[in-house]
Amino acid sequence: MKDRKKFRQKFLRRLPTVYEVAEDSELLLEAAMEEVKEEDVVIEIGAGSGFVSEKLKGKCKFLLATDINPHAAKMCKEKGLEVVIADLFRGIKGKFTLILFNPPYLELEEEEKVGDWLEKAIDGGRGGIEVSVEFLKQAKEKLKENGRIILISSSHNFERLKEEIEKLGYKFEVVKKRKLFFEELYALKIQI
Amino acid sequence: MRKKLLDILACPVCKGDLRLEVKEENEEEVLEGFLICDNCNERYPIEEGIPNLLPPELRDKL
Repeated sequence: MKDRKKFRQKFLRRLPTVYEVAEDSELLLEAAMEEVKEEDVVIEIGAGSGFVSEKLKGKCKFLLATDINPHAAKMCKEKGLEVVIADLFRGIKGKFTLILFNPPYLELEEEEKVGDWLEKAIDGGRGGIEVSVEFLKQAKEKLKENGRIILISSSHNFERLKEEIEKLGYKFEVVKKRKLFFEELYALKIQI
Repeated sequence: MRKKLLDILACPVCKGDLRLEVKEENEEEVLEGFLICDNCNERYPIEEGIPNLLPPELRDKL
């Protein structure tokens, strides 16, 4: 059974599945466009197809896109972006004035987990916030003084995330929202 | 990958500094090669201009 799962996962991972632009991507773009300044040194974690980073090119001093999915990194590269394949901030040193992330924020059941790249893009871990919290823990040392983070959150787990944000010593404000059918999305501006 | 990017990259395993081994480059960037950790000697591939900084256990698993 385990071998079949591994085989299927390896097969699925060869498929160039990249998270398709959705309302959360657009929300991050809107918030980022309003926040970005010419002097900003920017990193977008989990840039996916490069939808957001592409529009920020030329609007800031430096921009790096990252994604854990090599197919996503390829799409970013094709858009002319500087990109690295990385797991959150592992392998990235240096500090940034603006950090962007549209994280996976769903809480998936075991049966829903097939091990393909889409799962990596949507599975937020325990409570749907595990990835966001790990991101925030790592981001603390990657923020320049007065640096800002823009992070997308869902009403499904916003309250839980809020607690963790405060526990980590950050302050935040909701700078944009978008109401969807079953949930509301928030763009959070988070600072130390 | 532009060579300047080395300034902000480090070994994901031990945080050591990385040095560049170029196999193929053009005037603007490195297309193929490796980033090698000065400290632990781990090698990270650069393919089609994209460095892969996943630690070895993730690189094989994913």
